[in-house]
Amino acid sequence: MSTYEEEHNTSGNSNSRRDLRAQIRNLYQEDGSSTALLQLLAQLIPESMQEELLNEKEEGCPETFIDSLPRVNKCDLKGADACSICCCGYLDDTHPLVVKLPHCSHRFDLECVAVWLSKSRTCPLCRDDVLSHKPKVDISNVELEEDWGMYG
Amino acid sequence: MASLPKRIIKETERLVSDPVPGITAQPHEDNLRYFQVTIEGPQQSPYESGVFQLELFLPDDYPMEAPKVRFLTKIYHPNIDRLGRICLDVLKTNWSPALQIRTVLLSVQALLASPNPNDPLANDVAEDWIRNEDAAIAKAREWTQLYAK
Ligand SMILES: [Zn+2]
Ligand SMILES: [Zn+2]
Repeated sequence: MSTYEEEHNTSGNSNSRRDLRAQIRNLYQEDGSSTALLQLLAQLIPESMQEELLNEKEEGCPETFIDSLPRVNKCDLKGADACSICCCGYLDDTHPLVVKLPHCSHRFDLECVAVWLSKSRTCPLCRDDVLSHKPKVDISNVELEEDWGMYG
Repeated sequence: MASLPKRIIKETERLVSDPVPGITAQPHEDNLRYFQVTIEGPQQSPYESGVFQLELFLPDDYPMEAPKVRFLTKIYHPNIDRLGRICLDVLKTNWSPALQIRTVLLSVQALLASPNPNDPLANDVAEDWIRNEDAAIAKAREWTQLYAK
């Protein structure tokens, strides 16, 4: 089996890129104290690449977004309705925890879709960008304020 | 090995009880995540009348991660390399957990019906395909007769 795995994972490059992407994203997401790092990075990495690294589709949704997905009432679920991720009927569970995605209203078990959305922004059924209705935070114009930090 | 998720059991049952025309998928007795697959070459394609062996493996993260699929039978196709690896979007960036083994295998079958030399995995094959399509199709037919029995 190991050769099989090796053959299927020949793209070591994309792994290291993913690491880099994650690291940069973490830096951007940390609090204001990393502004200096951010600026340093901005100088080291071409703007086009920063954008690519940050907007890569495979990055997931924020946890707050997943937590805030609207719940579907048990009485709105029909007997044959099933989650397309685990393929189980919602009503097989006595306390189904079903959510719907904004825009497309596709439904899933919260437990199932949460795992997917933690690494993707697309609806499993229609590939709608589930975050597309949210205002995008434009980090490409983040500038170092003159009076920030220790001089402030 | 951890117990098999219900979804995999359901999918396996349906593959047997309601098989896709031209496709078979049998789980290995020792590893229910490993499937031996056959796909019949689509009619009116250079792969017509060939039967291709593939292997399909469901990684631990399935369905959050796509199945791993590859051809075991040698095939002359611009989107399949000599190791049998397949260039197909649903197996990579366009995977979705709502897709299933059967939909993936249908996509592979569709790829046999319509090779796409402009998005190649096997570059030399794709070049042949673009340079002289008739000759490439003839070669694909020849390989089908030779290897896909
Ligand atoms: Zn589910
Ligand atoms: Zn949707």
